[in-house]
Amino acid sequence: MARLIRTEKEVEGRYEEVWIVVEEDPLEQWPEGPLTAVGRSAPRKDGHERVRGEARYTADIALPGMLHAAVLRSPHAHAKVGRIDLAPALALAGVRAALGPGEAHGLVEEAGFAGAPVAAVGADTLAQARTAVEAIEIEWEELEVVLDPDDAVRRELLTAEPRSYARGDVERALAGADVVVESTYRTQTVLHNSLETHQAICEWQGDTLHVYISTQYIWGIRQAVAETLGLPEDKVRVVCEYMGGGFGSKNSPDEYTYVAAELAKRTGRPVRCALTRREENTSAGNRNATIQRLRAGARSDGTIVAFDGEFTNSVGWSGWNSSTEGPMRMLYDCENVRTVTYGAQLNTPPMKAFRAPGFVEGTFGLECLIDELASRLDVDPLELRRRNYAGSNDGTPFSSKNLEECYRRAAPHWERRHEVHARSDAVWKRGVGMASQIWYGGGGPPSYAWVRLGSDGRATVITAMQDIGTGTRTAMAQIAAEELGLPLEHVEVVLGDSARGPYASISAGSSTTPSMGPAVRAAAADAREQVEDIAEQRGMPKDTPLEEIVAVLEESQILGKGARGPNPTGMSVLTFGVHVVEVAVDVETGEVRVERVAAIHDVGRIINPLGASSQVEGGIIQGIGHTLSEERLLDPETGGVLTTSLDAYRMPTIADVPEIVCDFVDRPDEHLTNLGSKGLGEPPIVPVAAAIANAIRDATGADVHELPISREEMLRALHEAEERARARKKETRGAPAAV
Amino acid sequence: MELLRPSSVEELDGGIPFHGGTEVVPLLREGLLDAERLLDIRGLVPRGIEAGVIGAGTTLAELEVDPATPDALREACRLAASPQLRNMGSLGGNLLQATRCWYWRLGYRCRLHGGDRCHAREGEHREHGIFANGFCASAHPSDVAAALVALGARLRTSRREIAVEDLYRLPDEADRSTTTLESGELLLEVELPAVQASTYLKAMDRKRWSFPQVGVAAARHADGSARIALAGVAPIPWRIESIEELDGATPLPRTEWKLPLARALVRRALAALDQ
Amino acid sequence: MSELHLTVNGGEHALDAPVGTTLAHVLREELGLTGTKVACNEGHCGACTVQIDGVPQLSCITLAHTVEGEVTTIEGLREHPLVEAFVRADAVQCGYCTPGQVVSAAALVAANPAPTREEIRHAMAGNICRCGTYPKIEEAILSWQG
Repeated sequence: MARLIRTEKEVEGRYEEVWIVVEEDPLEQWPEGPLTAVGRSAPRKDGHERVRGEARYTADIALPGMLHAAVLRSPHAHAKVGRIDLAPALALAGVRAALGPGEAHGLVEEAGFAGAPVAAVGADTLAQARTAVEAIEIEWEELEVVLDPDDAVRRELLTAEPRSYARGDVERALAGADVVVESTYRTQTVLHNSLETHQAICEWQGDTLHVYISTQYIWGIRQAVAETLGLPEDKVRVVCEYMGGGFGSKNSPDEYTYVAAELAKRTGRPVRCALTRREENTSAGNRNATIQRLRAGARSDGTIVAFDGEFTNSVGWSGWNSSTEGPMRMLYDCENVRTVTYGAQLNTPPMKAFRAPGFVEGTFGLECLIDELASRLDVDPLELRRRNYAGSNDGTPFSSKNLEECYRRAAPHWERRHEVHARSDAVWKRGVGMASQIWYGGGGPPSYAWVRLGSDGRATVITAMQDIGTGTRTAMAQIAAEELGLPLEHVEVVLGDSARGPYASISAGSSTTPSMGPAVRAAAADAREQVEDIAEQRGMPKDTPLEEIVAVLEESQILGKGARGPNPTGMSVLTFGVHVVEVAVDVETGEVRVERVAAIHDVGRIINPLGASSQVEGGIIQGIGHTLSEERLLDPETGGVLTTSLDAYRMPTIADVPEIVCDFVDRPDEHLTNLGSKGLGEPPIVPVAAAIANAIRDATGADVHELPISREEMLRALHEAEERARARKKETRGAPAAV
Repeated sequence: MELLRPSSVEELDGGIPFHGGTEVVPLLREGLLDAERLLDIRGLVPRGIEAGVIGAGTTLAELEVDPATPDALREACRLAASPQLRNMGSLGGNLLQATRCWYWRLGYRCRLHGGDRCHAREGEHREHGIFANGFCASAHPSDVAAALVALGARLRTSRREIAVEDLYRLPDEADRSTTTLESGELLLEVELPAVQASTYLKAMDRKRWSFPQVGVAAARHADGSARIALAGVAPIPWRIESIEELDGATPLPRTEWKLPLARALVRRALAALDQ
Repeated sequence: MSELHLTVNGGEHALDAPVGTTLAHVLREELGLTGTKVACNEGHCGACTVQIDGVPQLSCITLAHTVEGEVTTIEGLREHPLVEAFVRADAVQCGYCTPGQVVSAAALVAANPAPTREEIRHAMAGNICRCGTYPKIEEAILSWQG
């Protein structure tokens, strides 16, 4: 029986209350451990298509008569469009239409950052569109540019009200602490740089808009486009069968979709609007920079008594104020915590969610602070973390938490540090560091799936979800195969088209597996039950293979449907993990080599160990990128992005990869859905930077406080460590003889 | 735009010559080069290495694997760019490549573009130079150039014969170019004297596919002298006579970090020569 | 417009394209071979890698009119054992860089059938993967002969 309930939905740390329709889900979770399909390594169902280049991404789609759009973007970090004349553009060869500010959603009159979209042209070829954009006559009224986040906070130029949190009495606790550490940590602006740039193709067929888009959220695009254009949602179809990376940046339509839709409407032809790589580096969003002013107090027995943090997020012109303070609030058992988080509004490109937004930055600050504390207390860093283990989330119980098990499994990797130290020499110092991880990953309703069974004994899972490269298509097939008792090769998964299936969740916030997975299982179970009914009617024994039962169907089909049920009430659904990292530092040149990463993750039941290990490796490598070499730089005078190309914005290559050891606790969360699985997309990136920084400290005594840990920062920290050591030596030499 | 394949060096006026195209094609696309006519010079420039003479059309990939390539040059090639770019890019083209300075590459009207300021000096310059940076703070990106300068290479062009370092000049008020190459002049061959030993050490911020933060080439010549040249520290490949010359560097506030790095690499390079 | 002759995956093609057209554009837009991807369009990421006479090159900065030699794209490598090796090893996530990876890898193993990890890393350093599939790509190349 269907019920309408109100429940809590979380995506990337933001909670909202939603109404959902739930069916009772009587399915028991499967027992722990590898089953027939679930919990077994499976190569990707669409692996051949992708490897052979047969997969069609949005960038590969060419519709007959398709026009190409180019966008005029503000060269100024803050300016209003004065006079604009599109006529010179419209006069050029091949140009079919042009749009000015306000003529498509997202084309603005006030440019709040260099790169803000202001006008657009549609033409027969991309070259013609670009030439036409150059021809647009435009006058700007330049306005004040604010680039410094502390300045913005002082002047209350914020994207939202500051977010404060407090429990206990921090000042009193700090005053009574035996040891207090105080440090400022800074992280940089990081760009997603997915290899397929942001783009959409829009085509009107009658009054229905077809949107082909590189996206993480088919249904969100449908809803947003319908609302913005004033269309019934069923008049918007969104298609994304393959997409070339998102990492959080492709959750919304953005101006290129609306530009394409409007140009398509005016010209009667399909229109592609695609960002160039340069535009991707300037205008497509980013992980914002942070300044974290932190304090921690502890008793000499290692009990942490207080955490205090002031977090300044350089959000940019728009975006949201992510929870950089989250780890400080949630990771450890501490009675006295106070945080305040400012979202500075700056004339810089807007932030966009990037793989665990806020928590990556905040974990760097917090986990480095913890190691500073450990050093001052002379307590082992692993021991300090264990001693302050949180048994609940500020009073709310966890649906499951196996971080203690992660620590237990981390211990042998942590033990290696003696041997690692022994391999140091005069030039290369080696050390080991660790960091804990906490993040979300519970997913939530709604999400739906259908399962179709025919007389050939093959099943098709019908969804309208997306697989953004995480292998969720394969995981869904495994779940259905397990529930139906079919070989994996006989289960197909349809996805990627909102016209061909029911609502599916976003693929962000580590939510696809925990949101879609239970819906797929429920649909498969529904189909299986109908098949069992048929078997009973035909007097067949209970263990008759499904293929035999359905062989009689001929043209008839069994259709199962399933929905994602609610999340457990009154519980925090979170993921946990630990990284132990070994580094080598050349103390003369400041070169940092990450040599080994042991990653232990607790994300509930693992559906596909092979795919899961790829997520861990990928997250670690992205983490190494933002730790060592990636940084978006701005010209301080104009606010323009300087690192607009991939030779300047340097991401890791295959040569930068350490040895990676991947370990999953793989215990189902008994309170979470019929699967007990959480999401894994984000957890692996969260602790990387802190673990590397802590390993550097272990190797060299140098404290790095800034990301990226460039040569400049590493040499600075080494020099500072040397000065400290020299000062200490002087002190001990000058000290009076021991009594 | 026309594409021509001249059959003699006399036909080179009035067009932009290119070989592998790895520099010319992107610059054309970004509007940093303007051309109605492109000249494919692959038929005009020798290719291959023989008896200490390298054709300027030889690719970096070919030099990387040729046993006759001296160590400093081999290492410079091996660590330069990406495998694909090494397959496509010629020795001559590599010597003539433009700076990676973001202001220059983004078309800011800086001194090298004929303007009257160096945006890097006053702005974001953390990847820029520590020598001769008063007029223009750009850093020369070529590993190969530093290696050839340290090796004492001589360059034969379609018009003259010069030491490799004379291919370069510091830009000044009157003339903003960083090479002495004349219009219509082609690099043809590089001639290498025999050396006792040579090496190239390169600091990068990722293990591969990165321009030099600091690159140090050193060679022990037949007369026992050591020649040292640095990449990434000045608008042109920078020769120093001794490690003490580094004390004369004029770093900018955010290029100071290059100095201890350069010292360490020069020390190591000289030590490597004696092994 | 200028006439252009290309041999691609063993097939001859004659077409007209303006001088300045890149090989990547011809392959994708004129010949419909969309397996080769363009991700940066300026020679920095390797997604557009094709082989010319077996040598990996960047088609996005190669002028189509200057191509001498036979072009091999990912479509011409469909039956290469590396394809199965990549699928088996899960050496693919979003898949956008993957064709370029396979093209570079195919050239590597043609010259060196049993490369070491160091050799693999050196030869593949020009193919950027934002998803971080590198460890599995390395495994795929190590195990390509099955």
